[in-house]
Amino acid sequence: MSVADVVTSDARGATPAVTVDAVSKVFNAGTANQVDALVDVALDVDAGEFVSLIGPSGCGKSTLLRLIANLIEPSAGTIHVNGKTAARARLDQEYGMAFQQAGLFDWRTVTKNVELPLELKGWDKQRRAARSREMLELVKLDDFANHRPWQLSGGMQQRVAIARALAAHPPLLLMDEPFGALDEMTREHMQAELARICNETGTSVVFVTHSIPEAVYLSDRVVVMSPRPGRITDVIDVDLGRDRDDDTREEDGFYKKITEVREALRRGGHETTSGEPLGVDDR
Amino acid sequence: MNATVTVRARRVADAVWPPALFGAAFVAVWEGAVKVFDLKPYFLPPPSAIWREFVGNLSLIRDAAFVSGGNAFVGLLVGALFGIAVSFALMRFRLLNDMVTPLAIALNAVPIIVLVAVFNNMFSSTSEIPRRLMVTLVVYFVVLVNVAKGLRQVSPIHLELLRSYAAKPVEVIRKARIPNAVPYLFTALKIAAPLAVITAFVAEYFGGPQNGLGSRIVSNIAASRNAVAWAYVVGACLLGLTFYLISILLESITRRRFGGDDSRGSGPGGGTT
Repeated sequence: MSVADVVTSDARGATPAVTVDAVSKVFNAGTANQVDALVDVALDVDAGEFVSLIGPSGCGKSTLLRLIANLIEPSAGTIHVNGKTAARARLDQEYGMAFQQAGLFDWRTVTKNVELPLELKGWDKQRRAARSREMLELVKLDDFANHRPWQLSGGMQQRVAIARALAAHPPLLLMDEPFGALDEMTREHMQAELARICNETGTSVVFVTHSIPEAVYLSDRVVVMSPRPGRITDVIDVDLGRDRDDDTREEDGFYKKITEVREALRRGGHETTSGEPLGVDDR
Repeated sequence: MNATVTVRARRVADAVWPPALFGAAFVAVWEGAVKVFDLKPYFLPPPSAIWREFVGNLSLIRDAAFVSGGNAFVGLLVGALFGIAVSFALMRFRLLNDMVTPLAIALNAVPIIVLVAVFNNMFSSTSEIPRRLMVTLVVYFVVLVNVAKGLRQVSPIHLELLRSYAAKPVEVIRKARIPNAVPYLFTALKIAAPLAVITAFVAEYFGGPQNGLGSRIVSNIAASRNAVAWAYVVGACLLGLTFYLISILLESITRRRFGGDDSRGSGPGGGTT
């Protein structure tokens, strides 16, 4: 597998994929609607590791992801991606990103969507075409290369978005509830596909989700966060092995971890609020 | 392949015959009413008389149509180019946008056609410039408002993605803003094309050289040649229709090229899943 060869060599080094050190983020600082989105957050993601961020709405998990992506700047603390500052890492395209909405460009074919990050890297046409073909095979959409995004189902669009995020073979994938808008069946299928792709490519992932089973199924570690102010309250290791499939979802260990994460979320929730809905799905 | 052509032909036929039938019935009732109620020609000439004058004056009507159509076309082109250029300036300079956009939207709702009287006063009485200027102005505001919106209202996800790809500002414009604005441009042209023709006709009512369809309608009515005036009205309808068809054609070409929300599910291979 050529994908695995290329990515593994630089992703599985000694440098951690992400280092977040004493990071805080304040929105509207000094005004009446000041929000402490994140307070003193520290997080390390090892190369090749899959880490989920889970927590109720407003716990700052999306903010943390955007900080790692350098889409916004921290108010305090430092962030490194693959040994570089977050800003440098963004300029070097050290990560790929996917959102809840696929965010495909309607005026481009599926292939051209996957090639967009490569165009911006200045790759020539031939190299782009070869890579987009490879990525579409990876997400099993090679038959749809010349379709327009609006001709695809929601799940297929999301797979194109993942292919695009991985097109430049970044060592890190940042995902913000990428399967949140999909139906349950498609969602489980996509989770299995993502697990397979990450195994094949050795890509590190930071994955924001509302769903406890999704977090447990996919992750090596689940990071539990809590709101007001946004912070990390628990980190749970999920030692279910690397090769996960549909049978994983029926193992006792899987259910135990789901319970563990749920209880961690309850604890985190009770420290700040009482009787308020958690905003986290059990599905 | 053959089957799809037949299906398409039948669909076109299905769409065409109801209005065609209605139009024929309307003309027949008109003709009948003129005969039955013995309407005088100065009040309402029968369609048959209008048709005779139309055929008899065909070359004159064609020449007049070229004058009015030429004015409309020049105004459409200049107004669109100018509108596009200023849209880019508004995209680049936020302050300018905040100053100009509300004004442009307000002006779109005002009958600025009356300005043609002022323009006529500014140029010689044989000049086509006032009319072209008027069309330019009308088209300009329509194009400006729409294209500026298309350049500005880019999906926030697209902007975040491009930032994550370390795209330079110029690349954001090329890869996201311009393609996003293209459908807006064609919507604007679809509105502006018939508006350009109407403006060109109406501008002729305010004086200037007596060579276009609008001025011929006025002068023939003044000479009590009602059926001839109506023949020029028919010419005006055909010219307006031509402009509208051109804009529809342009739109369908770009839609195929750019896809977009409106064509969801209707494109080739739509509903694949």
